[in-house]
Amino acid sequence: MKDWSRILATGLIVLIQAGCQGKGKKPAADAPSSQAKRLNLYIWSAYIPREVLDAFTAKTGIAVRFDTYDSNEAVLEKLQSGVAGYDIVVPSDYMVRILIQQKLLQPLDKARLQNVKNLDPLFLGRKFDPDNSYSLPYVWGTTGFAYNKRKVRGSVDGWGVLFDPSNRGRILMLDDMRECFAVALKYLGHSLNSKDPATLKRAADLLKRQKPLVKTYNSADFGNILAAGDVDYAHGYNGQFAKLVAARPDTFAYVIPKEGATIWMDNVCIPVKARNLDSAYAFLDFVMEPEINARIVNGVSYASANVPARQFIEPGILKDPAIYAPEAAVARCEFLEDIGDTTTLLDQYWTEIKAQ
Amino acid sequence: MSVARRPAEADDRRGRFFLRAHSGLIYVFLYAPIAILVLFSFNRARQTAVWEGLTLDWYRILLHDDLILSAVRNSLIVAAACTFTATVFGTLAALALGRHEFPGKGMTRNLLYLPIIIPEIVVGAALVTFFGVIELRLSLWTVILAHVVFSISYVAIVVRARLSGFDRSLEEAALDLGARPLQTFWRVTLPLILPGIVAGALLVFTISIDDYVITSFVAGVGATTLPLQIYSMLKVGVTPEVNAVSTLLLALTIGLIAAAQRLQQGPSERGEGTD
Repeated sequence: MKDWSRILATGLIVLIQAGCQGKGKKPAADAPSSQAKRLNLYIWSAYIPREVLDAFTAKTGIAVRFDTYDSNEAVLEKLQSGVAGYDIVVPSDYMVRILIQQKLLQPLDKARLQNVKNLDPLFLGRKFDPDNSYSLPYVWGTTGFAYNKRKVRGSVDGWGVLFDPSNRGRILMLDDMRECFAVALKYLGHSLNSKDPATLKRAADLLKRQKPLVKTYNSADFGNILAAGDVDYAHGYNGQFAKLVAARPDTFAYVIPKEGATIWMDNVCIPVKARNLDSAYAFLDFVMEPEINARIVNGVSYASANVPARQFIEPGILKDPAIYAPEAAVARCEFLEDIGDTTTLLDQYWTEIKAQ
Repeated sequence: MSVARRPAEADDRRGRFFLRAHSGLIYVFLYAPIAILVLFSFNRARQTAVWEGLTLDWYRILLHDDLILSAVRNSLIVAAACTFTATVFGTLAALALGRHEFPGKGMTRNLLYLPIIIPEIVVGAALVTFFGVIELRLSLWTVILAHVVFSISYVAIVVRARLSGFDRSLEEAALDLGARPLQTFWRVTLPLILPGIVAGALLVFTISIDDYVITSFVAGVGATTLPLQIYSMLKVGVTPEVNAVSTLLLALTIGLIAAAQRLQQGPSERGEGTD
């Protein structure tokens, strides 16, 4: 029956294609940009306000169709299929590197992007795309921790609290191997991309000793778990915590530890198979316009790398360390990089830690 | 009552009590999380784990959320198209397998179960590779095609079950009395297997509405379905809006499954042997 359905599916596809070829050279869904101006956008959920897309359509006449995804791997899978049809994607730093290696992105023609000058050099030329040949920063953030101020005495400024035996059963850690090792490595004073076996061994030992203190490992719902009072310290990405801190500032606070942390960045890119290139460039330049960029930041509560946009961004957002980490804090942070074969060693340690 | 019977009666009562308690606990275990999901769709708090009072706001927000509404529309289009196609072809397959002898019949019958047994993730990956090879652009069409692939099996299996208890002498009588084969099919065969067909169609409709894994592979531009939309919303933290949309989805699914079960029992059996 599998074969049967396949034959049926193939038959239907042939019919559809034949039907479309009767009408024109290309299937209707594939109309080239010259005929109908449109843009197919593939972006994280809650990453662009509707009104910004409407403003883009009003200004350029380009109709935007957009779909949202929940993981970088979704972008990889769609672009690998070769038939996804997206003109803009917004992958994170490490995924940009993978997409470049797999030749799934096309080089950006900077001459067509006059607003590139608005971007803060602090966020350009990072290792995952050293010349920004394929990607430009869209939004960025940090991976620190948040805590419940009512349950904690004294000031909290470093990773140490997550390893303190007196906090047994009150800690949540991200269920993410690299992020957990980043915490341990930073706490021990090393680069979070360290490949030194002795250093990694010490980090793994530290995480093993930490395991009995950890109530749960969770990467999806960590903000809610902290909000519900199930834990008092939660390791996690700044986005969920920013919303929590904004809603209950007297109870919760976000910390970028003094030892340093992970910084992440999501970037706008054009897939190699994009068809509506003019629309894609128009969109890239549009979202880098200061006022438009500020509307995005105000709407989604994530930090952008746009310097002149800051004058239009709400002061509350600009001053919130859970959204705009201070420059000194950013300087302490590192991007997660591909560590090659060392990943296997980490995998092994991580399995030991989780199985303990 | 006599003295001798008392212990047995007490045993009986105790047994019944434990059976009830046990069944009750099982139902609590199965349905408490769902009840809480529904309850929290009426929660005033933004966080999903803190109760702050009743509100219908999340349903109001939901009805003004373009993304969710277009996802609902996509899901309904896919489910309707897939249900129609799969029901027609699945019924034809069931009739062929139930009625006729042809070479490779055993093999075909066994292959019928494959799309249900093969892990969804394999089907999804296979389909997206296949679409890539034939250069068919991912869109709502590819989602419909993918859903048809697994739906045909479900319809065929349900209809075949209905056919197995079918009394061929009714058809023979019709033919005997001068009905043409096609007339026999429309007047006798189809009405008799209709409950099976409708049950299969409803089952497939709910499976299509719910499907995440395969859809996530084959969805293209503008083809975000409701499960994909909900999943992508989880990234920024679950708000009660997700609970609200899940509640509506749950209501639709339960309604359809209930309808499917009633129809599968058939008009003759309904009301008999139910407990």
